[in-house]
Amino acid sequence: MIAVWYAIVSFMLIIYVALDGRNFGAGMLHWLVARTPEERRQVVAAMAPLWSWHEVWLVGFGGTLLAVFPRLMASAFAGYYLALFLILWSLILRGTSIEVGGHINDRLWQGFWDFVFVFSNFLLAVLFGAAAGNVARGVPVDADGNFSMPFFTNFTVRGQVGLLDWYTISIAIFAATILAAHGATYLTLKTEGPVHDRSSKWANYLWVATVPLFLAISVESRVVRPDVVGRAIHNPFCWLGLIVILIATGALISGLSARREMRAFLGSNFILVGLLITGGAAIFPVMLYSTLAPENSLTAYSVAADEHSLRLASIWWPVGFALAIVYFVFISRRYMGKVSVRRDTQGYY
Amino acid sequence: MDVSLSDPAFWSRFQFGFTLMYHYLFPQLTMGLGWFLVYWKWRALKTGDETYNQAVRFWAKIFGLNFAVGVVTGIPMEFQFGTNWAGFSKYAGGAIGQTLAMEGMFAFFLESAFVGALIWGEKRLGPRYHFLAAVAVAFGSWLSGYFILVTNAFMQHPVGYRVDSRGLLGIKSLSAFLLNPWALIQFSHNQIAALVTGSFVVTSIGAFYALRRLHPIQAQLYLRAGTFTGLIASLLVAFPTGDQQAKMVGRHQPVTLAAMEGKFVGGPNAGVAVIGQPNVAARRLDNPVEMPGALSFLAYGHFGSYVHGLDEYPQSVWPDNIELLYYSFHLMITLGTIFIVLMAYARFENWRGRLESNTWLLWILMLALPFPYIANTLGWMTAELGRQPWLVYGLFHTRDGYSKVVSGGDTVFTLIGFVGLYFVLGLLFLYLVGREIGQGPEEEMMANPRAEHEETVIRPIEEHFV
Repeated sequence: MIAVWYAIVSFMLIIYVALDGRNFGAGMLHWLVARTPEERRQVVAAMAPLWSWHEVWLVGFGGTLLAVFPRLMASAFAGYYLALFLILWSLILRGTSIEVGGHINDRLWQGFWDFVFVFSNFLLAVLFGAAAGNVARGVPVDADGNFSMPFFTNFTVRGQVGLLDWYTISIAIFAATILAAHGATYLTLKTEGPVHDRSSKWANYLWVATVPLFLAISVESRVVRPDVVGRAIHNPFCWLGLIVILIATGALISGLSARREMRAFLGSNFILVGLLITGGAAIFPVMLYSTLAPENSLTAYSVAADEHSLRLASIWWPVGFALAIVYFVFISRRYMGKVSVRRDTQGYY
Repeated sequence: MDVSLSDPAFWSRFQFGFTLMYHYLFPQLTMGLGWFLVYWKWRALKTGDETYNQAVRFWAKIFGLNFAVGVVTGIPMEFQFGTNWAGFSKYAGGAIGQTLAMEGMFAFFLESAFVGALIWGEKRLGPRYHFLAAVAVAFGSWLSGYFILVTNAFMQHPVGYRVDSRGLLGIKSLSAFLLNPWALIQFSHNQIAALVTGSFVVTSIGAFYALRRLHPIQAQLYLRAGTFTGLIASLLVAFPTGDQQAKMVGRHQPVTLAAMEGKFVGGPNAGVAVIGQPNVAARRLDNPVEMPGALSFLAYGHFGSYVHGLDEYPQSVWPDNIELLYYSFHLMITLGTIFIVLMAYARFENWRGRLESNTWLLWILMLALPFPYIANTLGWMTAELGRQPWLVYGLFHTRDGYSKVVSGGDTVFTLIGFVGLYFVLGLLFLYLVGREIGQGPEEEMMANPRAEHEETVIRPIEEHFV
């Protein structure tokens, strides 16, 4: 039961990354792929009607995490205190920039909100990347299962670590790159004209750039957590994740070269999904690894809610998820195809 | 209770109170306005009258801004359970996490999937789907209200839970937990209060246009719809829902009722103080003007009923800010009474055919805009201050709930960040909504909405499939 819930909670986070990751990426590339006000409207129109639908998966994930693994939520969120507030504030700024930028047709106004939009999306990609790096590396969990972490200590990966060190920074760089590539692939699918051509060019560059970065973080991860690989090869989900990555990479390459944009974008989504499945399965059952003493680590079994509550949650969760699929199908059908600035924007922007 | 300003628990409470009160300024309008949009969209579908579509287009813009601020200020709330209230999350997460997760899965998914369609999608969706989007958003916002109120009701009056071997809470009966009688009453009271806000806002904008002699048809529509819903909602929010809510408090939290009313000494024939200032140190109400027997009657149904006083309880279970609790409750009641009188008079003038021409009344209706927001906030302050010193009533103290590993310095830092960010957000919101109101509903004339809708995608959809 607990393993199933671990999979479900991870699954919700994975969906969030795939959905909102495209917005982080498109946001980061905003200035590079769109130069004139009209072109920038295309980028915003590609994400504006759906950003809250994407962001709400983070809320669904948070609520489910609290219900199923209350002790993890308590320990991790209090421990990541400052980093989480930076993420929350960036989310506020990102949402605000999308919503208010379009209300006034003025160069200065839109220029300012474009800046907030690019900056907050970039910060979000980096922060989520660093957060993933922290989960992989571990945090200084004490014997009571609590930790408190500053932004940085001595940039090493053992003992009293901080949020940022050489390992988490390299994961953050990798995350920002792959999400930018994902966003570029999305913009290639949704836009036309010069924005489309530039996005397509950036998608090629960025996907190529992820390959050496991926190899680098793989080696680094082996150094930082030597214990994980031995366990991971016995976990079928790790192999599933790797197979997903391979197939998705094939779809991406053939999609990008044959200009089958939907195929490329699906490939891009499933590369992210595959990576996260592999990572999530590799660390299971440890949810927060302790860099102080491995026996302090919080495992899914030690932080879960009681069995009866979990059983009750497994009654309603599938219903909610089935409904979410229905909305997803509806939205996908309605917003299929290229964005039209005339139909998908409100006001001037 | 002594509260030191360097106490991290105080700063976590202050931060949660601030972010929550600020956040709730927005959902109350979303929940109140949602059904106005549904109604007008439905009338537009039935009659084909473009007036209703104009109203929907205008209010959807305000709704959209309001919804966006509600979303961005709402997301931190869920995460603050973990960041600032780790003790509480650990203890009660197995129970209250269920409703927070359900709120995400059932309500937020529905709302956020369709809100874009409601605000941006008229041209893409066509009239029928656009109406359905309005229904989905209004229904979703009320559903999310229900799940949050079940969560709050559990903290006020815990039912359906069990304590596991580690001493942590879980759910024993999902139906008892979800159908908590406290939640049912609090939900009715709160949702109707949100309708009061929605009605007053619609009325106020109508009055603004009527006074400026702008958009006369729209102004009349807003004034009539707003005062009609406003009168019904103002009546229902007081009776039966508010009345039942107070009875519920009297039954399950008698010490809270005593504090709300400033009753330091218990007894029969208890009165309701119309005026009076609680003097907690001297344990009395200064300058009291009371309606004798009224409290006994309202709380227990008989003028002679015995009402418990604070003196019957140890001071350790008294709410820790009796003064603020007393004023919150009393000012809410006063405002609620004024709302009924104002809306009844407005409907009377409407019946006489003078609603759009009575300048004095229009000025009052226009300036009444902030007061339902104040009343809603005071109601929530009554509920939350009244629950103290408990986080989960009778089970878990507030002082045990905050995150021990987070320093007061970190909490003050993030509080300052929120105050700054929310101040800017508030200015932006007021400026942009003010701008939309200034531009008015008839600016955006659509020559032929059907033709716009027919403008198809540039490339056929099939090409995008693999």
